[in-house]
Amino acid sequence: MEPALQQQADEQRVLDIIAIAQHRDQEALVRLFDYYVPKIRAFCLAKQPGANLMADDIAQEVMIRVWNKAHTYQKESASLNTWIFTVARNARIDYLRKNSRHQSDIDPENLWQDVVDENADPFKDMQHHRDQKRIKEGLDKLPQEQKQVLSKVYLEGKTHQEASEELSLPLGTIKSRIRLALHKLTIYIKR
Amino acid sequence: MTHYHPSVEMLTDYAAGSLPLTHALCVSTHIEHCHECQQQLRKLEILGSHLFDDVPTEPRRLDDLKQNLLSKLRKSDRVSDNSHPKESTESKLDAFLEDYSVPKSLRQFVKKSYDQLSWTRLSPSFKIATLYNEEGGAQVALTRVKAGAHMPSHTHTGDEITLVLEGAFSDEAGIYRKGDFIQRGANHKHKPIVTKDAECICLTVLDAPIEFTGWFTRLLNPLIRRHHPFTRAEG
Ligand SMILES: [Zn+2]
Repeated sequence: MEPALQQQADEQRVLDIIAIAQHRDQEALVRLFDYYVPKIRAFCLAKQPGANLMADDIAQEVMIRVWNKAHTYQKESASLNTWIFTVARNARIDYLRKNSRHQSDIDPENLWQDVVDENADPFKDMQHHRDQKRIKEGLDKLPQEQKQVLSKVYLEGKTHQEASEELSLPLGTIKSRIRLALHKLTIYIKR
Repeated sequence: MTHYHPSVEMLTDYAAGSLPLTHALCVSTHIEHCHECQQQLRKLEILGSHLFDDVPTEPRRLDDLKQNLLSKLRKSDRVSDNSHPKESTESKLDAFLEDYSVPKSLRQFVKKSYDQLSWTRLSPSFKIATLYNEEGGAQVALTRVKAGAHMPSHTHTGDEITLVLEGAFSDEAGIYRKGDFIQRGANHKHKPIVTKDAECICLTVLDAPIEFTGWFTRLLNPLIRRHHPFTRAEG
C-alpha cells in the first residue's frame, strides 16, 4: 500500500477504537476485526501450526478485550498496532498457560501489562513516532538471517535455545544475530 | 538508581512473550521501577508489532467467527451495563497500609505484607518464604536476611535470579541495591553479606535447589530441599 493510503487507513483504525470506547460502535469493531483477526490467527498459527481452533479462540478473546478495554488505549503512548500486538501476545500467553499440561499458577495478567502510559505527554508522542519510524525503516533493511531469528522469537514464540536447535546454529550465533539486529534498530545500546 | 538489569536476551523474550512465567515474574518486578528497561521494552514491543503487522496471513472465511463474537458481545453488554469496570480500590488500600510497598507483580502471592507470609527460619538471621513451586520446574521464593548478616554460603545447581526488593547486599563482585536484577549461572559459589543499615528482602527464582556449603549450614540442605519441588514428597 502507498504510504499516504497506509497512513489514512491507520488513522481510520484509531478513529474506530475511539468510536468503540465512546459509543460501543459495532461497525467499527467489525472493521478492526476484518483487519486484525487474520493477523492474530497467523500470529497464533506461527506458534502452533495447524491449531486452527486455538487461533480462533485467541482471536476472539483479543477482540473481546479490544471491545472491553478500548477506553484504555492512548494514542499518545503507543500506536494501535503496538497496542493490539501486546493484547494478542498477552492473550496467547494466557491461553497457552491454561491449556498446557503443567498448568502454572502464576497469573500472566499481573506480569505483562498492555501498554498503558499513565503520564503521556506531547514530547513522548514525538519520541514515540520517531522510534516507531526508525524501527520500521531499520527492520526493512535488516539482512534476512537476522530477520528470520527475530521472527522465530517474536512470532513463533521460540526461546533462543529452541531457535538455535531449529536453525541448527550455535546458541552464540543466535544471540549475536539478535544483538546485532537490535543494535541496528537502535533498541539495544550496550551498557 | 538501578545498576543491574536483565540481559537484552531476557528482555526480548519477555517482550515476545516466550519467557517462562517464573522468570517473567522477576523481570516484571524489576521493570516496574526501572525507567531504562521500560524504555527498552517499549521499543522491543514496537519491533514486535512491526513483525506482527508483516506476518503472512492465509485466506479463510471468518464469517462464523465474526457472528459468534458479535452475539457474545451483545450478551455480555446486556449483563454488565457498565462498560468501564471500576478500578478496585482494595489493592491500593492494602499497599498503603504496609511498611514496604509490595510490587504489583507480586500482589498475587503477597496479598498484604511480607510479614504475613509463612517464613521458615533457617538461621537466627535468615528466613525463607516459598511463593510458588512450579511442577517439575523452578522455585520462586522470598529471602529475608537481617542487617549486617552473612547469607549462608551456597552453590547453585541451576540458574538463579535474585531481585533486591528492600535493602542491599554485597558479594565479591559488587553491591546490589533495591531494584537490582542479578542472574547467576550454575555452580556459581558466593558469599553474600547484607549491608549494615537495614534488613534485606530478595525475590529469588531457582531452577534447581541451592546447596549450602559450610559444615554447619550443610544441616540446612534437607530443610531447603523440603521446600523445593524436585525433592518434595509425591502426593
Ligand atoms: Zn532495568
